[in-house]
Amino acid sequence: MFADIKKLFSYRELLISLTRKELKVKYRGSALGFFWSLLNPILTMLVYSFVFSIVLRAGIEQFAIFLICALLPFNFLSNSVNYGSGSIISNSNLVNKIYFPREILPLSVVLSNLVNFLFELAALFIVLAFMGYKFYLFLYILPLLIFIQFFLVVGMTLLVSALNVLFRDLQHLITIVMMVWFFGTPIIYPLSMVPEKFQPYIKFINPMTIYASYYRNIFYYVKYPENGGFPTVLETVTALGITILIFFIGYFVFKRLEPRFAEEI
Amino acid sequence: MIIRKKEDNIKDSLRTREDIAVDVRSVSKKYRIYHEKVPSLKNTIIRGKRTTFEEFLALDDVSLTVRHGQTVGIIGPNGSGKSTLLKLMSGIIQPTRGEIIINGPMSALLELGAGFHPDLTGKENIYINAAILGMRKRDVDKKLDEIIAFSELEKFIDTPVKNYSSGMYMRLGFSVAIHVNPDILLVDEVLAVGDQAFQAKCYKVIYDFMKRGKTIIIVSHDLDTISDLCSSVAFLKDGRIQDKGKPLDIVSRYRAFVEEIEQKRIVEQQRAARRQIFKSVIEENRRIVSGEEISRLSNLSVDGQTLNRFGSGEAEITGIRIVDKSGEEIDYCKFGDSISINYDVLFKAQVEQPILGIRITDYRQNIIYGTNNRLQKVKSGTYRKGDRITVSFVFSVTLMGGEYSLSPAVGYNDAKTYCDWVNDMFSLNVIHNNAAEGVCDLSPKIRISKSRNG
Repeated sequence: MFADIKKLFSYRELLISLTRKELKVKYRGSALGFFWSLLNPILTMLVYSFVFSIVLRAGIEQFAIFLICALLPFNFLSNSVNYGSGSIISNSNLVNKIYFPREILPLSVVLSNLVNFLFELAALFIVLAFMGYKFYLFLYILPLLIFIQFFLVVGMTLLVSALNVLFRDLQHLITIVMMVWFFGTPIIYPLSMVPEKFQPYIKFINPMTIYASYYRNIFYYVKYPENGGFPTVLETVTALGITILIFFIGYFVFKRLEPRFAEEI
Repeated sequence: MIIRKKEDNIKDSLRTREDIAVDVRSVSKKYRIYHEKVPSLKNTIIRGKRTTFEEFLALDDVSLTVRHGQTVGIIGPNGSGKSTLLKLMSGIIQPTRGEIIINGPMSALLELGAGFHPDLTGKENIYINAAILGMRKRDVDKKLDEIIAFSELEKFIDTPVKNYSSGMYMRLGFSVAIHVNPDILLVDEVLAVGDQAFQAKCYKVIYDFMKRGKTIIIVSHDLDTISDLCSSVAFLKDGRIQDKGKPLDIVSRYRAFVEEIEQKRIVEQQRAARRQIFKSVIEENRRIVSGEEISRLSNLSVDGQTLNRFGSGEAEITGIRIVDKSGEEIDYCKFGDSISINYDVLFKAQVEQPILGIRITDYRQNIIYGTNNRLQKVKSGTYRKGDRITVSFVFSVTLMGGEYSLSPAVGYNDAKTYCDWVNDMFSLNVIHNNAAEGVCDLSPKIRISKSRNG
């Protein structure tokens, strides 16, 4: 594993270069460039806000903000997994012709999505500042939180990108799994709305529940502290454990299948 | 497994080991060829295991040692495992058995412009491609002007490469690749880039590379290039190293091998074509002309048309072939060979003492030679309906090179009428050094002596 990290480090320029390429390609050919990437979360936010605060009247104050705090980190995960799953297959010309550590391909997808995520957060800060949220109170937790979530995203992306080489129809499954994951995470609803007996499952199986809760406490509940509350130590440790587990599963599956990539695609 | 070492951490190895750049040690590579087009989870779950596959041995116990500073060429027919060997050396795929040791930084040019993105400009793609080939950004910054100048794409360097022609694309790819500057360079059939002038430039770069003492391993079908550039050549066939050594020897041996394959292919084609002709043309043109006068028949034309087959049909020529001394069927022969022209006859009625003949003509229908058993004083015998015989004419080939036609015939005892005559039924190909003119090689011995004056 250390040897892998060392090798990856020696290829860092390729990783940076490919990440840049991902970002460039994404925003090339549109005058608005980066702002297009904000459009997607904004539209999602508007649609859900309409449904939950006007049609269903869920009674959540500032629903748009409530939603976006959890939606952005989840998008980081789901975009990385969705785009990353095809990263080995779609680069078959590279994998077949040139040697380099293959994890660079899914990693560059994750990194470009991370950069995107950070820009979205920056945009969110501006909005929050205008609306008088004291989002800076707990901001010191944010880097660590993103860092931990990053490992979850990397683990998942490595796993699906490697398995997708062997099973091409995995793509369809991933879309469904990500949808279930989305609704199984308190993003469009608060955790408190979930019946008591289901709460433990959502909290202890799905680490995204805990991370979403942290994001929401940092950004949203600073204004409504009576509804909020950071996850407990036990919940946090469990989420952390699952994250590490997923990371290593993803890593070992990837390493196990890596020698076969060039032959299978 | 592939072991990569930097020079400085080889301690235990001997002096001779140290100047080895690439050491391929009895490497085998087995590929799995799946019977399923696209692997899918659905099928895996339904069957409980992955689909069936066949194994294909692409490389079989290959060993190759390349010293620092050597330029080694790998040649062989398609599918012989050349590219697999390069891919193994570069680490793209892993060997099934054996090991490969690489000493020093290496770069593989298996494809030009790998990783180019069509939407990005030439300059942006230079950076990505260079990074893929293992070049550092600051080195690219330094060499950027050089790379662009070499590619001759100064005007288009800020244009997205999707607007490039394929030649421009390759030129840019090559230009980046040669500026990577590794110690060991693997090249797979990528030198044929751009126009003549650009190719000359490419070769110059490779020569410079050699002069600087770098190691090059090159796979190519361009045998002239191989014998020009390489200090040693390996000839790969069916996943095994058939031969290795001096470029000229190996290349000429490979050429002979390729020629043999080509010859076999041509012969196979001719054989198939002839079978076709025999089936269609000759059978269709068959005319029953019983009791005709030989004088009329010998001008071979009826109603102004060349008659391909005629005769009463009481005996029928069913097949013809040429065999060599060992009885093996052949499609061409060399001057001096002993060959036998055999044809089969099926009798459909009783025929007494038939005359069995053969005629050899050249492409202008000149009769080169013709004979029959009566002229050679051989009795033929009497045959009844249903009898089958084979007639053999054994010759020593004294003809000049070229294609000749064979016309077999079965005639009645009266030497005037025929049971079956087939014109140009088969062709005889003769290979000759053609150091003479005419149709027949008389093999003279020439002596020249000065005669006394007066």
